[in-house]
Amino acid sequence: MSTTVPTRTAPGASGAAAPRPPGAFLEPGVLLAAVAAGGAGVLALWWTGTDAVVGADGWLTGAGRITGLLAGYTCAILVLLMARVPAIDRGAGTDRLARWHAYAGRCAISLVLTHALLITWGYALTTHTDVLTQTGTLVVDYPDMILTTIGFGLLVATGVVSARAARRRLRYETWHLLHLATYAALYLAFWHQLALGNDFLGNRAARVAWYALYGGVAALVLWYRVLVPLRTGLRHRLRIAAVREEAPGIVSLYFTGPHIDELQAQPGQFLRWRVLARGLWHSAHPYSLSAPPSNGTLRITVQAAGPHSTAFASLAPGTRVWAEGPYGALTGQHQRSGKVLLIAGGVGITPLRALLETLPGRITLIYRARTEAEVAFRGEIDTIAARRGATVHYVVGRPEGQPAGSAWPFHPDLLTRALPDLAEHDVYVCGPDGMAEAAIAAIRKTGVPRSRIHHESFAL
Amino acid sequence: MRRAALTTVSSVAGIVLLLSLKPHSTAPITAATDDGQSGSSGNSSAAAPDSGTTGSSGGSSDSGGTGTGSGTTTAAGARDGTFTGSAISTRYGPVQVAVTVANGRITNVDVVQVPTRDRRDREINDYAVPQLTSETMDAQSTAIDAVSGATYTSQGYIRSLQSALDQAHA
Repeated sequence: MSTTVPTRTAPGASGAAAPRPPGAFLEPGVLLAAVAAGGAGVLALWWTGTDAVVGADGWLTGAGRITGLLAGYTCAILVLLMARVPAIDRGAGTDRLARWHAYAGRCAISLVLTHALLITWGYALTTHTDVLTQTGTLVVDYPDMILTTIGFGLLVATGVVSARAARRRLRYETWHLLHLATYAALYLAFWHQLALGNDFLGNRAARVAWYALYGGVAALVLWYRVLVPLRTGLRHRLRIAAVREEAPGIVSLYFTGPHIDELQAQPGQFLRWRVLARGLWHSAHPYSLSAPPSNGTLRITVQAAGPHSTAFASLAPGTRVWAEGPYGALTGQHQRSGKVLLIAGGVGITPLRALLETLPGRITLIYRARTEAEVAFRGEIDTIAARRGATVHYVVGRPEGQPAGSAWPFHPDLLTRALPDLAEHDVYVCGPDGMAEAAIAAIRKTGVPRSRIHHESFAL
Repeated sequence: MRRAALTTVSSVAGIVLLLSLKPHSTAPITAATDDGQSGSSGNSSAAAPDSGTTGSSGGSSDSGGTGTGSGTTTAAGARDGTFTGSAISTRYGPVQVAVTVANGRITNVDVVQVPTRDRRDREINDYAVPQLTSETMDAQSTAIDAVSGATYTSQGYIRSLQSALDQAHA
């Protein structure tokens, strides 16, 4: 059922020209193995280019070169993870890629800082100058180093504002804009790698490989983050066809437009929605499809929570919208067995509502909501459940004695009482992070392997 | 946090391991290993640099160096004049020196060419070349130490110096 694309996805052209068989995706394990192999290749490049490590300056400079090579490689991987390549996205999932990206980002910042420090220190020891003088020489006199220093500053600044603590205090838009500055930083810092990198000087093959790595990643970003969204927006010209309130503060929006089935959106996936209206057009926000696409109509369901979702929930029919995507790996592609448990928390019901209708096999839905009023789609869910013979447990509120934030009702005993054969199930989880963590922890204890737990975090 | 600490520690350990697996001394520099890849030979009268012998049959009356096999040549007994050594190609570019001998003493070493491909090469030359030259003047022979951080330049320097002194003894 799943087709593995074994190679690292080639830059741009091939992905666009040949129509992909729907469902082709890159297994996350294959992706990680390819990334690790590339890292080993980078170390091999240093190994073959170094004869001896002599003296303190030799050790420092050697370590500086290794960290520099790894930093350059990690930066390329960082961008690759955010390139929204469909095959990668549908395999690993957008949320997981974002977490990997954040992790790789912390590694890259550490490597870049270490590289700069060690090289300066090592060179200073070699030339018998102090570190400050050597820093000045490096920045001013070495080719491409002024640009690199600017890029270094941008990269470190972005790292600082992306740190979890700082990010909470920033508006998403500000954070996002600063993040785009890293593209400039990587471009500026790229050239010194080839002009000064000891392992690239006199090694044509290594230079070609480095150009291919950066050029390939740049092409993927240009293609999948700029050109494909532009084309999708222009081709489908989506409009809001209807608006329906599902529950207080929870609104479904229906979209129509030409060629919608070409999007090949699968139930469980989301799109990034950009409203072409004053004050809204500049940012795209992810919302899951809350029903399988049908009759040329897409439906999303939005809970008015933040300023953006509130604006979204009050849009009028006829509003023009661009949708980018579809994205996400919370789909039937990853289903392994004929028994499925869906666990929804609050507005996390939206993708699971679409899966409830479409996943094959025997389905159980646990729908967690704080209040009766928060339960959306009750009529739809009951109708689908009756037709399919699915079991639905609405778990509303919290009994006395269960403090807010406790793992209730996600306890292994409670779950296995409801589903004695839980261990044979595929489990799909979507909800607030705390609830999702509690649910996944409990499910793991009942013996469901991690590979059969499919989770998507809201926090992209 | 624990993962970050683990990643950091294992990365540092990995890098230290890689560095420690490399040899920690430069290959012994012996002028006798010169493989004769000279790009140019300064003096037409010069002996071929790969002959590996100092001219004991020449006009020199003194011991003429510490022996042909040892790879070290002293200035004692050398003819007066300026002798340009072979250009020795190194990983970073050719190194070539010219040595001036007067009364059996090296009075000057000129660097004809050293690697100047980039700023770092020049930076290394700026401190390594004067050091090599002063070592040569002190030792009055090719028995000088490589300068730390300038291994390739040192090797090229010593071998070119050897070839120049060979000519002085011819």
